[in-house]
Amino acid sequence: MTAWSYYIATLTVYFGVDVLAALALNLQFGFAGVVNFGFIVFQSIGAYIAAVVVLGPSSGTFQQYVFGARLPFGVALLLATVAGAVLSLAVGLFSLRNIRRDYQAAILLIISLIATQVVQGYVPLFNGSNGVTGVPRPFSSLPLSLQGYQWAYAGWVLVFCVVAYAVVTWLSRSPWGRALRAMRDQEDAAASLGLNVAALRLQVFVIGGALAGLSGGLLVEYIGAWSPDAWGYAETFVIFTAMFVGGVGNYRGVVLGVLLVPILFLELPRFLPQVGYPGLMDSVEWIAIGAIWMLCLYLRPQGIVPERRSLARRRSAAEQGEPA
Amino acid sequence: MTLLVARDLVVTYGGVRAVNGVSLDLAPGESLGLIGPNGAGKSSLLAALGGQTRLAGGSIVLDGHEIGRLPVYRRARMGITRTFQMTSEFARMTVFENLVTAGHGAHGASLGRVVLRRHETRQSEREVASRAWSVLDRFEMAHAADLYGSELSGGQRRLVEIMRCLMREPRVLLLDEPMVGVAPHLVEKLLADLRSIRDDGIALVVVEHALEVVQELCERVVVMALGRPISSGTFDAVVADPDVQAAYVG
Amino acid sequence: MWSTFVSAIGFGVVLASIIAVAAMGFTIQFGLTNVLNLSFGAVMTVAAFAAYLANRHGVGGWSGLVVGGAAGAVFTLALGRGIFKPYARRGAQLFEMMMVTLGLSLIVNYSVQAISHNNIYQFAVLQSTPLQFGSILITHTQLIIVFISIGVLVVLQALLRGTKIGKALRAMAADPDLARASGIRTGRIVVITWLLSGFLCGLAGVVYVVNAQSVGYTTGQLFLPLVIAAAILGGAGSPVGAVIASLIMGIVTEEVAAFGSEAYSTVAGFGILVLVLLSRPGTVRGGQAGHTQLTL
Repeated sequence: MTAWSYYIATLTVYFGVDVLAALALNLQFGFAGVVNFGFIVFQSIGAYIAAVVVLGPSSGTFQQYVFGARLPFGVALLLATVAGAVLSLAVGLFSLRNIRRDYQAAILLIISLIATQVVQGYVPLFNGSNGVTGVPRPFSSLPLSLQGYQWAYAGWVLVFCVVAYAVVTWLSRSPWGRALRAMRDQEDAAASLGLNVAALRLQVFVIGGALAGLSGGLLVEYIGAWSPDAWGYAETFVIFTAMFVGGVGNYRGVVLGVLLVPILFLELPRFLPQVGYPGLMDSVEWIAIGAIWMLCLYLRPQGIVPERRSLARRRSAAEQGEPA
Repeated sequence: MTLLVARDLVVTYGGVRAVNGVSLDLAPGESLGLIGPNGAGKSSLLAALGGQTRLAGGSIVLDGHEIGRLPVYRRARMGITRTFQMTSEFARMTVFENLVTAGHGAHGASLGRVVLRRHETRQSEREVASRAWSVLDRFEMAHAADLYGSELSGGQRRLVEIMRCLMREPRVLLLDEPMVGVAPHLVEKLLADLRSIRDDGIALVVVEHALEVVQELCERVVVMALGRPISSGTFDAVVADPDVQAAYVG
Repeated sequence: MWSTFVSAIGFGVVLASIIAVAAMGFTIQFGLTNVLNLSFGAVMTVAAFAAYLANRHGVGGWSGLVVGGAAGAVFTLALGRGIFKPYARRGAQLFEMMMVTLGLSLIVNYSVQAISHNNIYQFAVLQSTPLQFGSILITHTQLIIVFISIGVLVVLQALLRGTKIGKALRAMAADPDLARASGIRTGRIVVITWLLSGFLCGLAGVVYVVNAQSVGYTTGQLFLPLVIAAAILGGAGSPVGAVIASLIMGIVTEEVAAFGSEAYSTVAGFGILVLVLLSRPGTVRGGQAGHTQLTL
């Protein structure tokens, strides 16, 4: 029973983290049309920063990294969020332009490849390919059994999800959210109506990046370790596929997509009998992701839950506003 | 007092001077037509005024302010707005949302304001919404309020573009071939709508190939060829000009 | 230090030759279709494996080039007609098409990985005894590769400038609507483009593994960004531009590797691609349909 409990609790944590990531990506792509194919980098910086600020100063012998400290976990999460936002700001200022969307996507994808090379190559930064390990558990002073702790953490993550969902939905329904959609649909026309499109793009990139950083911080504090294996460029595609399947541009659909793709679909093979050589299933999974991706593109990514039309409500003269 | 003064405008594409030293004056509420053969530089001139293309030379002064170096969104905030040759409605937003987005503009859509001034934002939403309904009623489009931009006919899309511009309460409206994509039997109606906008006192600059539209709508007409104006005056005066006739034929 | 610099130029020229063959193929395809085809690398890998298998079955060393080229041509045509065209017909724009190629590259790359059981195979074509020209160290094989790339350039230029088909291809790449209106059989030209660019793609794949002396599913993973950078930097549709840009890419990469490290050279290559994409025309401007159109 405990093995199952551990498994489900862990799955819930991953679910929550992926939901945060998907909310951020949906805000960027579904609403603003920003194709952040380098998304995983911003989740990753959050994870690294959260890890190193709780790990204590680097001894240099076991593992090397920057910014060692022994800060409390709440602060670590905050710093992770800030790290995601700051890195997004830097990357965004440099690489977000009014250019063909496919070029924009390719640029952000390459940036994530560059990031992997830099981290792997420059060991003093985040311990290169080996990554950082031994990140202590938050709230270890609480009198919880291992099982209890896992479920508590899962609940903790879900709280963040609910709050993030509320915030992101509210922002998307606001005039700012509408401006994003206008920019997505017709950038030149949006500018000709007075919208500062470059600023909007940067804002949504930074907000998404902050959420991404938060998700990374939450994940690393659960798993206790983080290395380049965990953040290959292809991870971004899994979330994108989740978005396509669930429904681009609406958050309920995206949550459903996360449930279906990273969680159900990618976990399912665990329960199937071992086929072929070790590692075959991994390849097959990626082939399947690619196939689902292409299928969604062919059938036009409305997703299972389509974007809901916002109906205009006409107020009678009596209801309408304050006296002139 | 002139609303818009453009002097010696130059626009280049590659090595070609699409606009080759054009000067233009626009009085408040004046309606100016830009006609000429293909490749004359009319759309490029409009893009130079709107800010979609960079000026290689010259100046544009709106109400005493130099705007020639300003980006598109800044010029829009100063009262210049435009439609595009291919209709630019927001396809995945409803007609109502199209208008409301334009009505809020940058100020209403500012992230800081939305987050920090929630009460004000709610008030603006109500105010902009009621303005949007007025505009929709004026153009008899209230029934289409919940249709997505992509679900509209060509004429309706053009109307949405124009209604959006009106939500900005602009001083100058640049129209790039407004009749493109509009079914012939709707041209008359659209023309009437444009006349009523002109009568409201909004200055118009209209690029159009359909000469009947220009004749009906524009007090003054400038004929361009090869990047320069070759004639200017009333429609009748201009079409009688032998230089103009030569440009069209030759 | 000077000798390091010069020898790196030698390595750079070899690398440039390999990049050039691929970049010429990419630029021909991109010049016409306007699609950022990220599955180009996967097709290279498949063609390389085809050459390897042919080699295992007795087909002599360098004829593997023809096998690889043919495999690339056929595969590319199949993808072009069977996958890209249907998506275009369903209204896919530039960005969606790139996503399609991305999905395709996932499928093809991981299929190759699965079929090859994650193995890397040896692929030695010629006993490569190194020759020395001053500070420049180069093997026989590599010298042949350099000549192959020069040969490809010459043949390609002759094709594009000298033949009617070549002219039609250039016309279509410049202005598809005008070309169609002038009576050019655009469908046929598209097929020829698939075959030609596919052949070069396959050729490049074989040349790559001949130089690397091994073939596996990781073949050319970090190579594609260099190819795309060279193609776009050199100007879409221009083989000469692609070659010049390839020389730049190859030499810069090797110089950075010589004076810095392997990782830095990869970053340098990626960095150049980012800068090229940021600066090359491709800006979407309302009204100018040219650069947002795709031709399939």
